[in-house]
Amino acid sequence: MDNKKSQDQNTIDRRDFFKKAAAVSVTALAGTSLLANESAGEGDPAIMHHTKWGQKWGDPVTKNQYGIPSAYEHNVIRRSTKLLASGNFRASIAVTPIHESQGIITPNGLFFSRSHGGTAHVDPNEYRLMIHGLVEKPIVLTLAQLKRYPSVTRTHFIECPANGGQEWRGPQFNSVQFAKGFMASAEWTGVYIKTILEDLGLKPTAQWMLAEGSDNSKMGRTIPVDKVLDDAMIVWGQNGEALRPEQGYPVRLLVPGWEGNLCVKWLRRLEFSQEPWYCKEETSKYTDLKPTGKAIQHFYANEVNSTVTSPSPEIPWTDLKEGDVVEIEGLAWSGMGTIKAVDLSFDGGKNYVEANLKGLVLSKSWTRWSYMFTIPKKFQLDGKQILLTSRAIDDAGYIQPTIDQEIGIMGVEAVYHRNAVETWEVTEEGKVNHVQIRSV
Amino acid sequence: MFKLEAYNKLLISTSVAAVVAFSVVGCMGDSTEPSGSTTSVSLDIDGGVSYPVVNNKTSDYYVNPQAIGAKINNGRVPNAAELAKWDTDLQPATPLSPEGHGIPEGSGSVEDGETLYEAQCVMCHGDFGSGGGGYPALSKGNAVDLQKTLTNNRWKDPEADGPTRVFGSYWPQATTMWWYIRDGMPHPFSDSLSIDETYALTAYILNINEMYVDGEEVDDEYVLNRAKFLKIKMPNVDGFEPVISGANVLGGVKAYFGKASNFGGRNLNQGAEHCMKDCQEPTAKIKRIQNGGIKDFIPAMNVTRDLPKKEVVAIDVKKTYTESCAMCHSAFLSPGSGDWAGYTPKGIDKVYANGINGTESGMPAKGGADLSDADFKTMVDYLISGKVK
Repeated sequence: MDNKKSQDQNTIDRRDFFKKAAAVSVTALAGTSLLANESAGEGDPAIMHHTKWGQKWGDPVTKNQYGIPSAYEHNVIRRSTKLLASGNFRASIAVTPIHESQGIITPNGLFFSRSHGGTAHVDPNEYRLMIHGLVEKPIVLTLAQLKRYPSVTRTHFIECPANGGQEWRGPQFNSVQFAKGFMASAEWTGVYIKTILEDLGLKPTAQWMLAEGSDNSKMGRTIPVDKVLDDAMIVWGQNGEALRPEQGYPVRLLVPGWEGNLCVKWLRRLEFSQEPWYCKEETSKYTDLKPTGKAIQHFYANEVNSTVTSPSPEIPWTDLKEGDVVEIEGLAWSGMGTIKAVDLSFDGGKNYVEANLKGLVLSKSWTRWSYMFTIPKKFQLDGKQILLTSRAIDDAGYIQPTIDQEIGIMGVEAVYHRNAVETWEVTEEGKVNHVQIRSV
Repeated sequence: MFKLEAYNKLLISTSVAAVVAFSVVGCMGDSTEPSGSTTSVSLDIDGGVSYPVVNNKTSDYYVNPQAIGAKINNGRVPNAAELAKWDTDLQPATPLSPEGHGIPEGSGSVEDGETLYEAQCVMCHGDFGSGGGGYPALSKGNAVDLQKTLTNNRWKDPEADGPTRVFGSYWPQATTMWWYIRDGMPHPFSDSLSIDETYALTAYILNINEMYVDGEEVDDEYVLNRAKFLKIKMPNVDGFEPVISGANVLGGVKAYFGKASNFGGRNLNQGAEHCMKDCQEPTAKIKRIQNGGIKDFIPAMNVTRDLPKKEVVAIDVKKTYTESCAMCHSAFLSPGSGDWAGYTPKGIDKVYANGINGTESGMPAKGGADLSDADFKTMVDYLISGKVK
């Protein structure tokens, strides 16, 4: 849009705004809804009474020298289930409360946490990173030396490819935290591996890189050099501070857009080779079994995906009534590129309208989307309960499949990389339930 | 040697191809079968786009062009002992690499493996590797037979048998097992088994999967060593796609992920439609959560904003004394002094009250400590009696 046009648009928008505001206030005076909310006589105690915090000293600035959330936010936490409890919660996952997520950044304390041998606590003074194999010069770096490389800062989500993987055969979790919260997003700071390889010299026969953690399980994964030379990073910073132990303190790999499992935490070693490694977590697990009996190995990217976060089973519409205007909000993301568009359906994916992208739209990042909606009687449209389904498209051309389309190729035993559209059903009372729209 | 400049040029040229391809993106009508389409725009090995640096920017991010191609020379070259200590990974024998990598000399018997298993593994992995307690099964029976279950799919019949994915039936390489036992097992105290012990446990796991090595049954008398290990062929070695072993395979991997139908994807550049009306299969219906679903969330789901319930935690009397009382009460009225009655003839309740509220003679309210009244009384009792209740 050019400047002239955009100025005109602004003028119209502002005029429009005053007109609408006037209309709303007339409605408010004439209608009964506001009066009904007014407390008879005494007024709202939250306004009329003195507050505890308003009449005496608060904490000195010396308290909580590392800040912590308000005590009232104690329910905004990572959660787990027994289903995901393997290894006495040491080969397990705790998932992010994405129903409470704001914007496209997850606070470090809420970032989903997955480990294969428990959270390691690494002494940064004893931290070493070794890079060897098919390089002209192998090296070992201390943490300080690693941080001397020119840094880059990027906002990327990390998603466990098993996000939604418990629901291939039908919905299981009446919760967006568990149905889609095997992911989180942060601003990461580190160094491109290709920058370090400028020093070391990669030999032309190198095809694969092993990334290995120093934790109890020595978590390892094989990564093709194409990605290493594109945007793979070694990171030490997360949202402006050091990585948390649960995210691999002091150093993890970040493979933007790809399976979270490839982003090896507590990273200690990178080795280059002509042949791949067949690590435990790229053979026994993190492989997608198809109905042909063949399994996809090295299934790298988390494909285009989206979800409605508000409403959700956790944040229903039970406080809303017919005529209320509400924002439907959600997340879209793709490990294969940048979100181009999000469509929203009110009938479970039969018909779609375009939703609006909102805020920063970055590559391989969470992207917010929004749609303004007026609540209909009994939460019904055309006599049927609302079925909210979102569908994202990325700039590589990928569009989320229907469940039938995806399982038509992948079957229901793949475990990982499920990205078919997902649906919330809104009941007559405004409650929100997780359902799926599928033929079998 | 790898040249970054050349690599960036390559990326830019492919991105131009992408722009051309994107210009034809649009609704392509009904597309029930995207496979076979060749209008792929996959630019990266994963089937997605990449963002090469153009005019000092990559996607929305500025880059410092001085940092590209800069020689920095941080760190030092590791010595042989350091490399040997950490380079403990295994790679299987392949046509390109007939000896594999990192497979050490050593040996171990099924018999020793069973003894070790019973001592260190069975509590998690169950009898004969049957699994349980949240730890994976290592065997479900005959590996060759179970490999045939991999085509099982509970798509239409939820009561049908699913595929059995255990070491014998599913894993493509035995090096994975050997390496993981050596580096990652036993889970609570890993990296503690010797090379021979690792061979013994591997032999035992081959045994309970009823496997053969080079035509020989891995029976109870079997002894595994490096030479035999190199000859293990897992039943499902060819069960994976795309091909990742061999020289110059990355092009094939890229081609595989360049075709959306290989992995259940839908791509507008490969015949998928951006459908806005009548998009759902006519047979599709609402499937709801069965039997309540999974809801044993830890902790339970809760979106209220209230104060957490205070847990009743016993106060650490001696620590609190040292931190909050000792500065004054080691000199007088120290723990066990017992003579408080002389100061407060009005009784113990007055002692408590004075302490809680503070006194003009110098006692700060609760000694300045952040304590409940009950905890403060506990501290007073300690000072009087000298005993921790």
